[in-house]
Amino acid sequence: MTKTSTAKASMTDITTDVPATAGDTTDDAVPERADEVDGERSNTMLLARMAEAVYWAGRHLERAEGTARIVQVHTDAHVDMPVGEDVGWEPLLAIAGVDSEFADRYSEAEDADDARAAEEDVIEFLLHGDGNASSILAALTAARENLRTARPVIPREAWEACNDLWLSSTDHLAEADSREGRVRWLRRVIAGCQRIHGILLGTMSRDEAMSFLVLGQNIERADLTTRVLDVRSDSLHPRGADDPYDVVHWMAVLRSLAAYQPFRRAMPARPQGDSTLRFLLQDDRFPRAVGACLTEARAHLKSLPHSERAQEACQNASMVVASAPVARLAERGLSELLEDVQSALVEIHQCVDDTYFRPVFVGWEPAAAIP
Amino acid sequence: MDLTQPSGTLGAVTAPTETTAPTRGDAAPRWPPYDPSPLFDELVGPGGTARPAAEALWEHFARLGPGALTERQAAADREIRAIGVTFTVYDGGVGVDRPWPFDIIPRIIPRDHWQIIEAGLVQRLSALNLFIDDCYHDQRAVTEGVVPADLVSGSPNFRRECVGVDPPGGIWAHICGSDLIRDDQGFWYVLEDNLRVPSGVSYLLENRMVTKHIFPEMFRHYSIEPVDPYVGRLAAMLASVSPSTGDPTIVVLTPGIHNSAYFEHAFLAQQLGVELVEGNDLVVLDDDCVYARTIDGLERVDVIYRRVDDLFLDPEVFHPDSMLGVPGIMRAWKSGRVALVNAPGAGLADDKKVYSYVPDIIRFYLDEEPILWTIPTYRCSDADSRAEVLDNLRELVVKPANESGGYGVLVGSQATDEELITAARQIRDDPNRWVAQPIIQLSTAPTLCEEGIAPRHVDLRPFTLLGPDGAYVTRGGLTRVARRKGSLIVNSSQGGGSKDTWVVDAPADPRIGDGFGTGSDGGVATEGTP
Repeated sequence: MTKTSTAKASMTDITTDVPATAGDTTDDAVPERADEVDGERSNTMLLARMAEAVYWAGRHLERAEGTARIVQVHTDAHVDMPVGEDVGWEPLLAIAGVDSEFADRYSEAEDADDARAAEEDVIEFLLHGDGNASSILAALTAARENLRTARPVIPREAWEACNDLWLSSTDHLAEADSREGRVRWLRRVIAGCQRIHGILLGTMSRDEAMSFLVLGQNIERADLTTRVLDVRSDSLHPRGADDPYDVVHWMAVLRSLAAYQPFRRAMPARPQGDSTLRFLLQDDRFPRAVGACLTEARAHLKSLPHSERAQEACQNASMVVASAPVARLAERGLSELLEDVQSALVEIHQCVDDTYFRPVFVGWEPAAAIP
Repeated sequence: MDLTQPSGTLGAVTAPTETTAPTRGDAAPRWPPYDPSPLFDELVGPGGTARPAAEALWEHFARLGPGALTERQAAADREIRAIGVTFTVYDGGVGVDRPWPFDIIPRIIPRDHWQIIEAGLVQRLSALNLFIDDCYHDQRAVTEGVVPADLVSGSPNFRRECVGVDPPGGIWAHICGSDLIRDDQGFWYVLEDNLRVPSGVSYLLENRMVTKHIFPEMFRHYSIEPVDPYVGRLAAMLASVSPSTGDPTIVVLTPGIHNSAYFEHAFLAQQLGVELVEGNDLVVLDDDCVYARTIDGLERVDVIYRRVDDLFLDPEVFHPDSMLGVPGIMRAWKSGRVALVNAPGAGLADDKKVYSYVPDIIRFYLDEEPILWTIPTYRCSDADSRAEVLDNLRELVVKPANESGGYGVLVGSQATDEELITAARQIRDDPNRWVAQPIIQLSTAPTLCEEGIAPRHVDLRPFTLLGPDGAYVTRGGLTRVARRKGSLIVNSSQGGGSKDTWVVDAPADPRIGDGFGTGSDGGVATEGTP
C-alpha cells in the first residue's frame, strides 16, 4: 500500500470540516465498482457526506466537553495554589493549542508590568473568543452544524438537545464573565454534551453512522488526553516528585480528564507521575485513557467496510502506547512519546478521511470536472 | 362579467346569506371579545358567536383567559426554537434561519367540508396528470380543442426533453401542494396547484406536534383527524414508483443547506428514514443507473424525491453550470432506471394560464364536473378579455402567467396610479404573459396579536399524493396567516405566520350553507354534498 502524500493536518486544526480538495486522495482503498454492488442490496446506506458530518459532530462535541472540563478544573485548582506558586492561565492555551492565536489577539492589550496572560482574557478566548476556532462555543457551533447536516441519520432528540445546548450557551454568554457564572456556564456545557451522548447511546441504532460518531469522539478524546499530559507534565518537570504541590498538580491532571475517581479505584498509589501516566495512557477500561480510546476506535472500525488500513493505523497507535516505558517517562522522553502518539492519531484520521470521506470511485469523475 | 372561463359558470353563484343568528343565546362567553364582521371568519360568526365546530375551543379560551393564552404562545415559541423548526430568509444575499412563526389558535374545519375538498383535490390532481401525460404524448387536448396549442408548446414550463417519456402509472405530478382560499361568503376556491417542488408539509406536521404539547386538553374535547399518516403514505407512494423489484432505495435530493426549505428536506428524509443527498452525492454511470456515494462504495438509487427545480436537475440537459444537479440524471430517468418525484416537466400544468382551463381539463379527461371552484381568470392574450382587464384594473389582481411564489403580483385596489399605469403598459406590451382575476377578500381566523385575539386573513395548503396505487390527501393542511391587520400576504418570507389545522368530527355551520355553492347551476356544485 502506498501511503498518502497528504500533509499531516494538525489535530488541533478542526476549524473546518470541509475537505481541502478532492485531489488529495490516494488511489488505494478504492471502494468496489458499481457493477459489483449487485446481488444483495440493502435499502439502508450511509452517504460519505453524512459519515463525515457525524464523525466531526463526535469530535466537536468531545472537544467542547473536554475543553469545558479542563477550564473548570483549572479554575478550581488555581484557587488551591498559594499566590506566586500558581502556574497562571497560559497552560490552558497550550492544551487547547491556541497560544499563538491568543498572542495575536491580545498582545497589545497585555499589561506591560505583567507578562502573564490575564485570567479574563484567557477564559474569554477559550470559551468564545473571536479568532479562536477551537473555542468551546465554536466547537458547539460546528457540532450543531454537522448534526444539522446529519439529521436524517441521527435521532431527532439528539439534534434537539444539541440545538438546545447551543442556544442556551449563546444566550448566557455574558454569564461566563464572572468566576461564579463561568462555573455555571461550563457545567451547562458539560451536562449538555453528556445529555447528547446519553440520547445517542440510549436511542440510536448501533449502525454505521454510530460507528463514525464514536470514532470521531475517541480520536478527539485520545488527542485531548495526550495534550493535557504534554502541557501539564511540562510545567511539572522542574520540580520533581519532592515538590509538595506535585500531588496537587497530578490530581488536577486527573480531574481535568474526569479521571480522579476511576484512578483512585484502579491504582493503589497516590497520584504521581508514573502512576498517573500509566493510567491515562495505558488503562484499557477508563474511557478517556488513550489505550481505551484506541481499543474503542478499533472495535468500531472493524464494523465498517474497507477499514483495513485504518485498523492497521489504529493498531500501530496502540502499540506505541502499550510499549511506552511509563516508569521513567515522567523524568524524560514523555514529550517525544506524546508526539508519536499524536502522529499516530493523525494517521488514523487520515486513513478514515481517505477511505470514507474522499474516496475515488471507478468510472466517476468529481462533478466539478464536468464543464 | 365576460369571463374567458369557457363554461362561464362562476358568475351565477347563489351566495349563501349569512345572518346574525344568535343560536347560543346567553351561554355565549364574554371573553374573548371578537367580532370579525364584515369579513368571513373561519371560527366565529357575525356577532361573535362561535361556529358549532369551534364552540368547545371558544369556551375553553374563555375559561383560560388572556394571560394563559399568552403564556402558551410563549411556550410554543420556546419549543419551536428548541427543536429547531426554522425557515431561511434572505437578507442582502445572506441566508438567516428564523424560527418558524406559529399562532397557537388552531383553525377548525368540519369533516363534512373536508371530505368534499379531499374528493375535489384528488379529482383535480388526477385530471392534471392526465393532461401532463397527454401534453408529452398525443396532445389530444389540443387536437380536440380543449386548450390552444400555444398553451402547451408555447409554455416556458414545457420540457421538450420529456416528450414521449412514460413514467410509472403515467403519473408526473405525484405530490401537489394546493393553495385553497375562502372568499367573504365562505366559498372555497383553489387558488393555485403547485406541482413542482411544493413545500410546507413539514411545518404542517410540526405545528400539530407543538399543538399537542400546548393544548393537550383540547384533544379530549375534539375528535381531530391525525396528520401523521402522511409520512407513511408518502413512503408507500415513493416505493410504488420504483423501477426495481424488492426493497427500493429512496433518497431525498436537496439543493443543500442554504436552500430556504432545507429544514423540510432534512425533516422529510429523517421521517422517511432515507438519506438526504445533494447533487454531488449522486452519479450516473454508463449503465444509465443512478448511484449514491456511500461509505461502502457506490450504491444504486431507485427513487429520488427531488426538491431541486427542473432546470437545475441535470447540467447535461438544462443549465450547464448548475452545481445542484446530477449530470446524466435525465438520461437515467428517461430510460426508466430511476424514478423522479415529481417528474421533470410536471410544472407545465401549474401556471396561471393552464389554471384557467382546469375545469375544462377535468371535464375532458374525467367526464366529471369539477368539485372545487377555480377563480374566474381573464387571459390577457384574448383581445376582449384584455380590454376588460385594462378597463377594470383597480378591481382586479394581475398576475404573471408563468411565475410562482407570488412574484410580480399586483393587487389593483392597493396599487398606486403609477403602478397601475406600469401594469397596463406591461399588459399591452406582452399580453401573453398576464392573467387577471377578481380580488378575493380572504376569510379570516382568530389570531393572537398584540391587541388580543383579532381576525387575520388565512389561506390553506393541503398536500395531495397520487401514485399508481391511489391517492391520499392530508387531513387538513398548512394554514398560513397574514399577521398584519388587513394584509392578504400570508407568505412566511413576508412576515406571515401559520396555524395548526384541525379537521374535526363536528357539524358545519348551518348559517352558511356548505361553502361549496350548493344549488347553484353550472356544475360547480359539489358532489356528495350533505
